[in-house]
Amino acid sequence: MGFFPDFPIVTPRLILRPFTRGDVDAVFDYRGRRDVAFYLFDGPLSRDEVATAVQQRVVQIGWNEPEDKIVLGAELRETGTLIGELSLIWRSEEARQAEVGWIFHPEYQGRGYATEAAGAMFDLAFRDASIHRIFARCDARNGSSWRLMERLGMRREAHFREHAIFKGGWDEEFIYAVLRREWRDGV
Amino acid sequence: MLRPFERQDAAHVARYHVLPTVQRYLIRPTRYQEDVAGAVDVMSAQRGLQRPGDTLTLALERKLDKAVIGHVSLRWSDATAGQGELLFAIDPAHAGNGFLTEALTAMMNMAFDHFRIHRVFVRCDGRNHHSAKLMQKLGMRLEAHYREHALFQGEWDEELHFAILDREWQASSKVHPLPIRERVA
Ligand SMILES: CC(C)(COP(=O)(O)OP(=O)(O)OC[C@H]1O[C@@H](n2cnc3c(N)ncnc32)[C@H](O)[C@@H]1OP(=O)(O)O)[C@@H](O)C(=O)NCCC(=O)NCCS
Repeated sequence: MGFFPDFPIVTPRLILRPFTRGDVDAVFDYRGRRDVAFYLFDGPLSRDEVATAVQQRVVQIGWNEPEDKIVLGAELRETGTLIGELSLIWRSEEARQAEVGWIFHPEYQGRGYATEAAGAMFDLAFRDASIHRIFARCDARNGSSWRLMERLGMRREAHFREHAIFKGGWDEEFIYAVLRREWRDGV
Repeated sequence: MLRPFERQDAAHVARYHVLPTVQRYLIRPTRYQEDVAGAVDVMSAQRGLQRPGDTLTLALERKLDKAVIGHVSLRWSDATAGQGELLFAIDPAHAGNGFLTEALTAMMNMAFDHFRIHRVFVRCDGRNHHSAKLMQKLGMRLEAHYREHALFQGEWDEELHFAILDREWQASSKVHPLPIRERVA
């Protein structure tokens, strides 16, 4: 069964909402940067690539079938600035699994915005979508990302070494996960 | 002895292939006796690694009486990153005698020396402490412990991944124990 939540999702400092065509410049501001793309599958995106990506995101607001994504922009309530994005991918219907991902503009990192936004996404997945387990992956060198996972109460379940090639070198990867009953003392 | 499967092995294989405790480790689980011959056919066709995705399966034949007591497989899962997965099963009646250690060591040598695999990994049930101990004995590292990441036959699954890199295997297998000699006065 599909999942089509209501938006926006409002947190103390942020608004999480679907993307619109008007977001291209704001997204290019961070997705065009080399430092942001360093551990991402894609390299830095050109403005055209960002325009295409934003266009796809406009409709990524629900799940019809496994592998569908919900991608939301995180906007500062105070100024209306788009500062990052989060994705929630439906990985398994039968086992109720979802994968989460996040990308924030470096100028807005280090203030707990990603933690706040991800927390709201976890609430959505566990409470509204009845997901059983959420997992996230990152490069073992991506400390800001795995520290975020640990702040969210996720457990390091995997540490793979040289299991794949990533951007021309051996990949080292962490997988973190949290179960529904472990999230905020069970929801 | 490790050798490819033959059709006639079905009678031996039937003794353990359908046991619930063995199911978790089979590429193609066979719950009913009538499916065993089919599974043996599949295994007997797995004789080499030509392209990624291929599996090589060998029967564990006990030297003593030529009984087939299990099997080991090497699946070439990824070519660019040189990854191989080992799968195995043994008749519980013959477990605990070191047969698997012997067979897996031979497969590991073949994976690294002959097939030039970079990393060999094994997945096993988190509740199977025998497998976990065996992997550690072989010098493999626990790389993952997934909890409730999937359902297996209607129940939450717990899965462990063990892995070893070519250079780690070579380093460990160079350390041969000294031969035991009679003390000469
Ligand atoms: C991964 C990423 C989203 C993390 O962003 P972040 O800003 O570190 O995360 P938060 O917004 O939750 O901020 C947390 C940091 O702010 C600090 N902080 C300040 N105020 C805080 C508050 N109110 N609440 C929580 N943390 C706060 C924390 O101590 C933490 O710092 P630390 O990592 O040095 O311990 C970001 O680094 C990023 O976008 N990277 C590039 C893209 C990428 O690699 N994505 C992940 C791919 S797997």
